[in-house]
Amino acid sequence: MSTTQTEFRDLKSAATSHRGDRVFNRTITALAFTALLVLAGIAVFLGLQTIPAFESQGISFLTTTAWDINTDPPTAGIWGMLYGSVLLAVIGLVIAVPASILLSVFMVFLAPKKLAAVLTNLIDLMAAIPSVILGLWAFYILNPTADEWQRLLNQYLGWIPIFENSSGNFLGTPFIAGFVLAIMMIPIVTSVSREVMARTPPDLINASEALGSSLWTMLRYVALPYGRGGIVGGVMLGLGRALGETIAVFFVLKIVFDVNWYNIIESGGGSVATLIVSRFGEVSGEFELSLLLAAGFFLFVLTLVVNVIANLIVARTGRLQK
Amino acid sequence: MTVTFDAQSLPELQNQQIAHPWRKKPPIFTLSVILATVIPLAIVALVYVGTDIPGAVVMTVVYFPLQMIASGIAAFATRGKRGIADSIIIVNAIGATLFSLIILISVIGSLIIRGISALSLHFLYQNNVYVSPSTPLEYGGIGHAVIGTLLIVGISTLIAVPIGVATAIYITEVRGRAVPYVRFFVQSMAGVPSVVAGLFILTIIVATGAFSQGAFAGGLAYAILMLPTVARTAEEVLKLVPEDLRTGALALGSTRARTVFKVVLPAARTGIITAIILGIARVIGETAPLLLAAGSVDSTVLNPFGGPIASIPTYIFNNVALPYPDAVARAWASALVLLVLVAILFVLARIFGRGRLSSK
Amino acid sequence: MEMIDVENAEGIEVLETQMEKAQSSAPTEIEMSSRELSVWFGKRKVLEGVNIDFPKKSVTALIGPSGCGKSTFIRTLNRLHELIPGAALAGSVLYEGRDIYDRDVDPVQIRLKIGMVFQKPNPFPSMTIRGNVLSGLKLSGMKRSNHDDIVEETLTAAGLWTEVKDRLGAAAGELSGGQAQRLVIARALAVQPHVLLMDEPCSALDPASTLKIEETIRELSKDVTIIIVTHNMQQAVRVSDYTAFFLAAENEPGHVVEQGLTTEIFGNPQDQRTLDYVNGRFG
Repeated sequence: MSTTQTEFRDLKSAATSHRGDRVFNRTITALAFTALLVLAGIAVFLGLQTIPAFESQGISFLTTTAWDINTDPPTAGIWGMLYGSVLLAVIGLVIAVPASILLSVFMVFLAPKKLAAVLTNLIDLMAAIPSVILGLWAFYILNPTADEWQRLLNQYLGWIPIFENSSGNFLGTPFIAGFVLAIMMIPIVTSVSREVMARTPPDLINASEALGSSLWTMLRYVALPYGRGGIVGGVMLGLGRALGETIAVFFVLKIVFDVNWYNIIESGGGSVATLIVSRFGEVSGEFELSLLLAAGFFLFVLTLVVNVIANLIVARTGRLQK
Repeated sequence: MTVTFDAQSLPELQNQQIAHPWRKKPPIFTLSVILATVIPLAIVALVYVGTDIPGAVVMTVVYFPLQMIASGIAAFATRGKRGIADSIIIVNAIGATLFSLIILISVIGSLIIRGISALSLHFLYQNNVYVSPSTPLEYGGIGHAVIGTLLIVGISTLIAVPIGVATAIYITEVRGRAVPYVRFFVQSMAGVPSVVAGLFILTIIVATGAFSQGAFAGGLAYAILMLPTVARTAEEVLKLVPEDLRTGALALGSTRARTVFKVVLPAARTGIITAIILGIARVIGETAPLLLAAGSVDSTVLNPFGGPIASIPTYIFNNVALPYPDAVARAWASALVLLVLVAILFVLARIFGRGRLSSK
Repeated sequence: MEMIDVENAEGIEVLETQMEKAQSSAPTEIEMSSRELSVWFGKRKVLEGVNIDFPKKSVTALIGPSGCGKSTFIRTLNRLHELIPGAALAGSVLYEGRDIYDRDVDPVQIRLKIGMVFQKPNPFPSMTIRGNVLSGLKLSGMKRSNHDDIVEETLTAAGLWTEVKDRLGAAAGELSGGQAQRLVIARALAVQPHVLLMDEPCSALDPASTLKIEETIRELSKDVTIIIVTHNMQQAVRVSDYTAFFLAAENEPGHVVEQGLTTEIFGNPQDQRTLDYVNGRFG
């Protein structure tokens, strides 16, 4: 008979004191770290590829814009592409954010329940459309219409710098590419903002009647402040997606190795992701391939930062709402 | 593709009804609504018929502002100043909804209209070996691309599903100290752009030479994109398995491992199937990773390590911008096939997803 | 109103069987016991210095107001307590002369010998009725032959056999709450435990099912040692041979105020608080 133990016993490790379970736990834990392994693998493997790029170009690989691989010495810089990616994403956001919030308002506060349920399904379906299909659609269907829109914008608002167009070519513009990105972002942003708005406590909504029983005051003082964190997080997730989008942009944006700062309806712009795919098909050799891989590394870093911020925001608001 | 629960079905919302104070309707409401709808429409119809401005432009530039003004006046007449802000929001909210629906209908409609012409039985199973961009539509098909896509998706499912489910098991069953970190890594991985996944596999090919471009490499790239979706959905469904079942099994002298495999996973079976379907739906149309890791070819390839392999997305990509009407028609038809595949997965996910929620 | 009559009739019957039992097995052998057991959830101490002996093939009822730690206590007896993050304890739980919390003791083996039935019936929804009964064998990897006999034996012991013998292949989810709870008891019996822990097994059930389960408990106590947590004092009187009364003062860990023969605790309590509690003055 063992003697009575009176000392304090922490049971943390006791839960796995069965031998078979220790093997099980270790296997599962190891597999759970695959995500970290892949992220680290991407960072290391693509990171190593930045060495040849920096050796030949120095820091100007990030700060200049040129792609003359066959000259001696070759010059290459992705600044225009990095800036272009951000510009396209911003155009996408300007269109997608108001549209998504209004769409959520309609689904949560205005539409009958059945219609809202149908719309939820349709918006989820929209999220499932592959980008190559959107690209195909944009190339043949959106382009002619967008051409008209941009001509009108230029005709009447051409005095505003962003609507300048000196080439007369209204295809392959950042606006069209940004518009396609907006279509991809709307379902992402909507699904998050719809959910946070639907979680607005009903008693808060009813209390807003005291403020004047109007939809506007309710949104302004209750629903939007309440859901702000979630909406911002959803927007950041959409932004991450937009920065990395490749194929849809490929079909509607003319890649130019120049910085298009703000002429959004002028043909030509940049996008890191699209640069990679468009050059990969006719890559001139190992050196250019490593330049593309290095560009991929910076795209990875850019999207990782945006996504980490997005997830932190979403996680924090999730905690606050509990 | 995101899994979202219908907000209206959340129990706490059912218990407490929202009063919708802004929906109270004054008597002259109906008349105002009718007038505010009919007048702008009539004006727009006149402008559209009377001038040669294109329809889409008329709608955005003429109809939309006109509708806002008309609704604003109607709202002012019925509810005073406060009504104006509401009417602007309502018109814009309906506008945004219509905008999204029009785009969705335009995408699906154009695929059906333009894709159906090249679609035929032989298009689904023949390959492209003797087909050039100018070959008439009676010959050739995307059989090789369908097989390639199935092979690549199959490989990625075999890799990503066990790892994704194991990740979910770590979070909900093993509950180790690293749970917040694992979740963080999975979420970060979900944000990896598909082109980067392709580049990563490409660098492995270049650096190690262990395998070449092909179905296996493409499957690996797809698996990177699929894993976070599977892990996150599986985590969600495993959380729905009641805690009683776990303690019940352990109290019977079960090990942790047996509890997971014989009680928890079977209880979450339909949910796990949903996770797999959502994972497949996430990747099936991805193009960039396959352009980089799998390549493309005109013949049928069955060996995962047998060099470049065709797939539906890369087939579409290669044919979109060719200056041959038949090639473009083939691109539309393959896009239609791809969309049908996505739609099937979407419906399956809904069916299994519903089972999962009702069995809770 | 009808309930009270039934309870009184049952109560008399119970007292008779208890007296018979007390006469037949005079010197009681101890199946398991707790020694100076204190329990923590993280920094919060919920139980202090619990010493209870559980005589073999008897029913011991653990009673006390909510929050006194009796459910926590019963979960330490088969090492389910440790599943909760931050769980800790001091003292020991002795079974077959060994501390079940010793480093080299396998909790899986302990739980196999010390089965448990929970407050809410928890049959495995993905299995049939028969599959649920045999699930313990499958989950613990225990080898027993004649599965058909085991199914019949245990379902009979749990008082469910006649109701389900024609639909053993049906999904367990089709059973009513009371039936499900008896299925869970049959499931626990199939691995032939020596001790059966029951944590408020009737609190989610209707009166008729409760009576059936109580009958089952009395029947089972001929072969197994039963430890039952209950809020229902009539139930404690009806089913148990021994009773331990737990109590916790505000923000203090729970402890055992009084323990002994059920007839003593209810008939002639020594502590004023026990008297007040069993007479329904608080809790």
